Amino acid sequence: MTAAAATARPTRPSRAKRNASLLALGVLLVWALVTLQFDPAKIVELPGGMGHVFYLMYLQSGPDWSYLPNALRAMLESLEMAWIGTVIGAVISLPLGFFGAKNVSSGLVSNAMRQVLNGIRAFPELVLAVVIFIPIAGLGPVAGALALGLHSVGTLGKLTAEVVEGIDGGPVEAARATGARALQVQRWGVLPQVMPEIVAFWLYRFEINIRASAVLGVVGAGGIGFLVQQTIVFNRFRLTGTALIVVIGITILVDTVSGWLRRRIIQGSGARVQGEFIEQPELVEAV
Amino acid sequence: MSLTATQENIRPPKPRPSLVVPIGLVAFLAISWVATSEQFGIGLDPGKILEDIANGVGILGDLLRPNWAFLPKTVEPMLETFRMAVLASAIGCSIALPVAFLASRVTAPNLLTYVADRSVLSVVRAIPDFLYALIFVSAVGIGPLPGIAALILFNIGVVAKLQSETVDGIDVGPIEASRAAGGNRLQTVRWAVLPQVLPNYVAYSLYTFELNIRASTVLGIVGAGGIGRILLREYKFFNFSNVSVIVVELFVFVFVIELISITLRRRLV
Repeated sequence: MTAAAATARPTRPSRAKRNASLLALGVLLVWALVTLQFDPAKIVELPGGMGHVFYLMYLQSGPDWSYLPNALRAMLESLEMAWIGTVIGAVISLPLGFFGAKNVSSGLVSNAMRQVLNGIRAFPELVLAVVIFIPIAGLGPVAGALALGLHSVGTLGKLTAEVVEGIDGGPVEAARATGARALQVQRWGVLPQVMPEIVAFWLYRFEINIRASAVLGVVGAGGIGFLVQQTIVFNRFRLTGTALIVVIGITILVDTVSGWLRRRIIQGSGARVQGEFIEQPELVEAV
Repeated sequence: MSLTATQENIRPPKPRPSLVVPIGLVAFLAISWVATSEQFGIGLDPGKILEDIANGVGILGDLLRPNWAFLPKTVEPMLETFRMAVLASAIGCSIALPVAFLASRVTAPNLLTYVADRSVLSVVRAIPDFLYALIFVSAVGIGPLPGIAALILFNIGVVAKLQSETVDGIDVGPIEASRAAGGNRLQTVRWAVLPQVLPNYVAYSLYTFELNIRASTVLGIVGAGGIGRILLREYKFFNFSNVSVIVVELFVFVFVIELISITLRRRLV
């Protein structure tokens, strides 16, 4: 081998695929930008408009603290809506999740159950509230809680099924060997293994439902969303400012407490920690 | 050493009963009771809901008879939703990348930037997408633009958080190598960090794109453009056969996008 050959660089891997994807992305972007009908002048207006709204909310005469009790009460209603939605979701999804797990129920049953859960999950809470629960329960937080509950059944059921599928078979075998019946096997062989993770998912769902419950207010399901919308519609931006402070403060507070609890539950359980979930539950939920 | 039979069969001592579970259960029941009560909570009465189910039957009947003649009218708003999602994901995710690097212990230039970035991100994440939309609409009026702006902020919050945590967990070997070769901070990020986290970044971006499509119903309802606008209109006029068309369409659309996105993500990560 000559020296030149020894120091020759390896050939570059092909970049055709990467370039093709980038090109496709570029074309998609240009198409979206060109065909979207909007007034370009508004882009320039946006920062100024935001500045003005911020000025009205906080700078002109400060947030209106006398509105704080009202905002807190509305936020409490949102929290309660989210809590009840989560409880409904948790209670119903637990058995459904077991039926959706291949290793617990049969292949046919688990497949059917997974399809049902995916179907429920595909409808956003807002759509469920508008087309099913507001007609049934009327305007108000009850309809919102039921909508959150049904949607949560879908997401929590899917996660429960996945956690149950990932268990260690040893305890199940041991339970069988001692003559446990089917239900006893689930209770003593499976449940203790999966409970920490499932409870952590419940808590995480509660955090998501708080955000979702705010949205539901806009279609008349009560809570802080309704309040914020009203203050904006009536141009009472000082009140909007106060309500926003409440939303941000309470949400961060609940997220912090709930996140701490989740970490304690998962780590304290000493179970096989699925590390990714602790920090990035969003993705576990998404995939 | 002679163990007696009784000692051999002796059971291990039972662990002391933990107070955590009973305390948790009591707290759970107390909160649930307060939340459902008429006086302090939202007043949830299962009996009454069962009675009221009859109210929904007529509407459910309409929902089961979608008016397919309405379908052509939904195409343009649906496309608008798609365009908004494309633009908002592209802009939001591009901004989120540098923000994520500043919010990671590994790549932040100093503690102050790190703490400041993290705090701003947690505030950005605490505001739900529709509140952004409401505020933007009041700033520049209705249309797709406030919707896109709201989605951008929402995307920055999600992607920057996920991405900064991914950066926290990378292999530090390449970083050391880059520093040893005399790379400055920017070069280190470009050549030692970015190649490690790029697949995750693309996966997160695809994920937020999905979220953006899902969020479109909400945005339209507050006047920020897209399919939600006509959903609200048909709902207000009690045209539940038309609402049903939109719901089915959205269902299929989200399903297809999710399928494509999951396939792409699996190939990447």
